[in-house]
Amino acid sequence: MILRNDVLLDIATFLARRWSRNPKAVIVLTQDKIPMGKPDKNQIVLPFLNYYPGTDFQKYRQWRVALWYESMRLLHSTKVLSYDHAFGFLLNTVETKRIELLGLRQWNGMRNELIFNEGMSWLSRPLLNSIHGRHKISEAFSQYFLTGYLKGELYGGEFERVKKASEFANNIVVESIDNSYKTEWIEQHISQLIKILELDPLSSIPIIAPRTRIGMSLSQSDVLKQLEKLVTMKHNYKDDKKALKEIVEGNEILSEFESLVKESKKTENKGYESLENFGLSIPQKMDVDETSIYDIDLIQKVKASFRNWKTGWIERHGDMGEEFDPESYAESLPKTFLIDYKLSIKTKVVILLDHSSSIEDVELEYKRATIALCEALHYLGIKFAVFAFSTDERRVKCWVIKPANIKWSVISARRLVQIKASGGTPLAEIYGLLQPMIKSFKPDIMVTLTDGEPSDFDSVRQMVLLYRKMGIHMVSIGVGRNLSDSVSIGHNLIYLNYEKTMAVSRLQDIPKKVINLLRA
Amino acid sequence: MMMEINYLDWNNAIEILNKAYETGLFALIIGPKGTGKTTLVRKFASKTKKELYSVNFSLRTRESHLIGSKTLDKGDVSFVEGILVKSMRDGSLLYLDELNAAEPDVLLRLDEALDDRRQLILKEAEGQIINASNSWFVIATINPLSHVGTKELPPQLLSRFPVRVRLDYPPEDVELEIIKQHATIDNSKTNDVKDAIKLARSLREAAAVEELYYSPSLRETIAFAKLLNKDLAPKEAAEIVFANAYDQWGEVEYRKVMDMITSIFGN
Repeated sequence: MILRNDVLLDIATFLARRWSRNPKAVIVLTQDKIPMGKPDKNQIVLPFLNYYPGTDFQKYRQWRVALWYESMRLLHSTKVLSYDHAFGFLLNTVETKRIELLGLRQWNGMRNELIFNEGMSWLSRPLLNSIHGRHKISEAFSQYFLTGYLKGELYGGEFERVKKASEFANNIVVESIDNSYKTEWIEQHISQLIKILELDPLSSIPIIAPRTRIGMSLSQSDVLKQLEKLVTMKHNYKDDKKALKEIVEGNEILSEFESLVKESKKTENKGYESLENFGLSIPQKMDVDETSIYDIDLIQKVKASFRNWKTGWIERHGDMGEEFDPESYAESLPKTFLIDYKLSIKTKVVILLDHSSSIEDVELEYKRATIALCEALHYLGIKFAVFAFSTDERRVKCWVIKPANIKWSVISARRLVQIKASGGTPLAEIYGLLQPMIKSFKPDIMVTLTDGEPSDFDSVRQMVLLYRKMGIHMVSIGVGRNLSDSVSIGHNLIYLNYEKTMAVSRLQDIPKKVINLLRA
Repeated sequence: MMMEINYLDWNNAIEILNKAYETGLFALIIGPKGTGKTTLVRKFASKTKKELYSVNFSLRTRESHLIGSKTLDKGDVSFVEGILVKSMRDGSLLYLDELNAAEPDVLLRLDEALDDRRQLILKEAEGQIINASNSWFVIATINPLSHVGTKELPPQLLSRFPVRVRLDYPPEDVELEIIKQHATIDNSKTNDVKDAIKLARSLREAAAVEELYYSPSLRETIAFAKLLNKDLAPKEAAEIVFANAYDQWGEVEYRKVMDMITSIFGN
């Protein structure tokens, strides 16, 4: 896929939070599911790009419009029901129109993209003639209400019912907007809609097959012709060729798409086919909520402590002696006596996190401290990589949380949150597994956070020495439950050949301690 | 002739400063950059008809700027008083802008003058004691910690300013009124200006949670309105005023902001 999922997730999270004005909005990418906003969970579920038909750019444009709709749903809707029964289907459909109208008031620039999306999604809509059963009329209502036209034919009094239902639905949408009524008010009128359509509220609506299977037989030029026809028919652009061209080509969004493609080309693997070949594992689940390990206060405090470094250098004034007479001193020296030191951080850091079973009872706090540390390192522009180890299904796993050449983002946080603390502390094996990565990245400092005794002291000593011979400053931080516990762990770590060993009993101190190591 | 200061007092700040002045309690104004803190102080000075002495600490102000220094004048060594000393003697309004960017040695001397004795001992001038005039009044401003280069104000200095006024970004309708004071807005362009204000609000919200590294101030929305008056298209004006600043953090940051601009202004 031309756009990596983590890159999509990054832009989607940013846009969703801005569009919905909800700083907690979380995006979940999942295979072949219809886009859905869940206001109660602050969540937006989106399919992968290949859910949509067309070229890569066209897929992206449709995906982005889906993100916008669901962001508007987070902002303006209080309830989203399941699409698979008539009541829920109809409520969600009416809400879609309402949130679209409300959304366009603020995000008027989305108009062209919405028109494009309507044209493309039309190609994927089912032909009414091919639908049998009661749900045909629900689909017909959805088509007519949302677009003003039908794809296929209706028989008997079906069209009259659909038309009447659409008029009714349009009226309730207008009334709700004029009076600032919300979802609950709309919901009260769905029963009436069901009556008009002569449906059973619980009749099931089958989920339409993924859109990629529909419209694929058309060539690109056919797709574009179809699109132009629909856009002209619906929006009367026939006299404005320029406007039509803009909608079809989408140049507004093209630059953004191209920069995302460029970002996606940065690869984690540096030419290696798969990190798994090196015994390193990547937590794969993308539908996890990482917000539980974001302690915003801690993150702000850590960043505030190191804010001076953000400019790239800090000032230190040199001052010597007890009595200082400026007059005589200035007379004796021709030049100024202020000395400014420019200390910049060019350090490359690797952080290794112990996720053995002994941290289980402080797992959440430990992860929050790690997130705060990573947020601060990212803020300071320091190059860093993060790994973790645990035992998963009786196998020692070394997890890649954040590779060196991929920037810190919510993806890395999601990887961290899904690692369960379990197993022992096989430090030597982990150092062994990481060796190729470390040789390639060549960090200045490697910080190991651990709270236990390693399985094999001698092996660890040898591995630490090996790394030191590579020119890496090896530092360990002993994490204990209380002061005496952490001091005792620290004492044990001293014998493992680390250049520097520290102990910490308050997990919140971890970020500052690590960053202070980077000062020259 | 004194220039008329245009300031829209949307949150009653001037009345609070008046009360602070009447009771002799120094005031601290806290807010992000570009929200009108300096304009507020200038307006207050003009209303109270007090002379205003200003110091901006982000410009590496030294102790000697505040206190003064010795100088050689026609063969004689004399002491030239700094702005703090002058202001204390004259009983004027002393404006300490971006106080939390000041160096520790500077803050120490200020602390001496700002305590209840309102007194300064000039070690630079044979230990002369300066007592502040009764009408001496001090207003300081600080930016929140998200501003680059700022530090936390030490608690003892914070306590010298018992009256604190928050001056955050104003509500959107107020921001529109403020812009109208600085730039004439054609009726046909009001909606574009409102859109720019909405954009600024979105970017500020993103900066507040550090999803973006820069928060646009009222200066940007005013600049946008002025560019519109020069017949620049709204989207282009928005790109120049809002988006281009983010390019220094990379293409992706810039593109995120452009995406917001496209969603608002379209083509």
